[in-house]
Amino acid sequence: MAITDTRPEVAPEAEASAITTSPNTVFGTGDHTTLGRMWIGAALLLGIAGWVLTALVGVHEIGDADVFSADAAFTMFTLGRVGLVLLVVVPLLLGIATLVVPLQVGANTLAFPRAAAMAFWTWLISAGVLVVANTIDGGFGGGRIEANDMMLASLLGLVFALMVATICLLTTAITLRTPGMSLDRVPATTWATLVGGSLWLLTLPVLAANVLLIYIDHRYGGPSEFGLADNQWAQVSWLVGQPQIYAFVIPVLGMTTDVFTTLGGVRQANRGFVLFGIGAFGALSFGAYAQPFFYPDVADQALWAGMSLLIVLPTLLLVGGWAATLKGARPPAKAAVGAAGVAVLLLLLAVVAGALYVITPLELRQSGAFSAGHFALVVAAGLAGGMAGIYYWSPKLRGRFANEALAKLSVLAVLGGGALAGLPLLVLGFANRFDGLADASDALNGIAVAGAALMALALLATIGALLTASGDTPADDAWGTGQTLEWATASPPVPGNFGELAVVRSSEPLLDAPETQEA
Amino acid sequence: MEAATHALPPAPPLQRPRVLMVGTAFASAAAIMVLLGMLGVYLTQRGAVLAAGDTWLPDGVTIPLSQPNIMLSTLLMGSVAVQWAVYAIARDDRINAYMALGLTMLFGFMVIVMTTYLYSIMELEIAASPQGVLLYAITGGHLAFLIGTMVFLALMSFRALAGQYTSRQHDGVSAAALAWHAQVAIFFVIWLAIYITK
Repeated sequence: MAITDTRPEVAPEAEASAITTSPNTVFGTGDHTTLGRMWIGAALLLGIAGWVLTALVGVHEIGDADVFSADAAFTMFTLGRVGLVLLVVVPLLLGIATLVVPLQVGANTLAFPRAAAMAFWTWLISAGVLVVANTIDGGFGGGRIEANDMMLASLLGLVFALMVATICLLTTAITLRTPGMSLDRVPATTWATLVGGSLWLLTLPVLAANVLLIYIDHRYGGPSEFGLADNQWAQVSWLVGQPQIYAFVIPVLGMTTDVFTTLGGVRQANRGFVLFGIGAFGALSFGAYAQPFFYPDVADQALWAGMSLLIVLPTLLLVGGWAATLKGARPPAKAAVGAAGVAVLLLLLAVVAGALYVITPLELRQSGAFSAGHFALVVAAGLAGGMAGIYYWSPKLRGRFANEALAKLSVLAVLGGGALAGLPLLVLGFANRFDGLADASDALNGIAVAGAALMALALLATIGALLTASGDTPADDAWGTGQTLEWATASPPVPGNFGELAVVRSSEPLLDAPETQEA
Repeated sequence: MEAATHALPPAPPLQRPRVLMVGTAFASAAAIMVLLGMLGVYLTQRGAVLAAGDTWLPDGVTIPLSQPNIMLSTLLMGSVAVQWAVYAIARDDRINAYMALGLTMLFGFMVIVMTTYLYSIMELEIAASPQGVLLYAITGGHLAFLIGTMVFLALMSFRALAGQYTSRQHDGVSAAALAWHAQVAIFFVIWLAIYITK
């Protein structure tokens, strides 16, 4: 099968499938369930490393005695920031979407399956090179020229791989929908993936452009400006600032919606508003233009401030939509529901903090601590949303329900970890207005370090919950209240996913069948 | 028996999702965003230099307009040719389709040659200034986009030669045409922003 193959006209016969781990299946597969598992597993493992790195950077900030040299601390800081976005949050959400989106739209396969496989392996190899290059003094502004070039090249590889994987997903959602599933009927996670993926496709290439300029200047140009050690990080730091950082967690909005509606056993109230809210959140998180290195006065512009303030509105709209859905419903006390709730809470805190950040009289933009706290909250929200997705779709991911006890433990850890990693740094951001806070900086940094460590433990518990998944193979509709098409195929999905599917007539096709019969 | 077969009505067009077209559109959008990202930096840097009262291009550097004009014209002719290929393959006119695809490839090679010639005569060192880095990064990025499109076009041409594309299913050629048009569109922006305004 070539990469340009299109959807098979007839689905392969459904056969009982097991999760195979033979080398051929792992290395040569274009199967979206296997690829999804690999993205998720790798992202969770790298996430542990990313938060440990964040904790170490925090330790360096405590007290006057420097734990690391200034260069080493800066390398760890930049690797932690870039890593948590491009090696953890985005791949985790991409992995879940790779697993779920073809199922949700009733597709037999992912579009361009071999390109999707190539994207994963390119990403993994680039991630390895990025980490190695950083460890040998090749980070942003690093002193070792060849290692620095290697890091920049690996960053280009990472962005390329993530873009290819995103294109495969978007193409699947656009072209391989089952008959009757118009765009307004796609499940929330697929919709959020469409919105988020579009944003990634518009902004990650701009990052590639920045990195390309740095690379060319550093390697061939002298360097004269872009490749200078002091300038490198400044050119790409917009990636982890607002509003761009919000773009990386957009799929969480859809996952949360699906978890609440299915486990609540109700249809999404005001579904149109929720889809609009996700779209508006996406539009307001476009941040590729906000590059302070090239536009030093961008923070004074009404557009940037307005976007950062306005993004609170779609977030509140979504929270209202979820609240209306859950009103009267009694979702079970499952880890998936808890993780989705934690994601909502952390994201709400983050957007409120982001709105405060742009208010000039508060003078928060001068504080590195405040932006670090904001970043931690958004990333933690992304990971909590990812955990909600993992636990919710664990029957499709592992063929078993995740270990609920460990899963609940991980939810508590991500709640505590996210709050502790972010909130103390937000408080510390006010230190230039309140002297007492400056005196408490060591204590606040210490709490943030504990929060980062707790986040690493939360991800460890998530891996544990998946590895110790047990019990009988769940039914197709594992929760018994499934609304969307992924719950119409086996757990885990069989090759080809589906046999014959009925024409979809609403956004909750699985709820329509019994209602039609009752009528 | 044969006559009865000829009397059959033509088969309806095959209903296939346009996977390759949509995928190519997304990939082209991403490639365009890379170039637009660099163009944004270029225009900002250039604006800052001009606002300070300096000249943008270093002394001794001249970027002639003839070559970029010829490149743009050639690319536009390639657009016509590749659309001719789509038109022909959609009507099972294979001879014209092959000719048009070959002509498009030829136009692509001509632009590559012209770009390298332009590099050789404009005497801009990459090591000397940010201008050199930006100019070579942007035009080189477009060159990479063009070469990628030509590779794609060549693959689709081989598929067409193998008989995979017909009037019922010619997404591959249409997708390659889309990629070609996309790189022409972004070259037009480059032509305007770099070669015309200098």
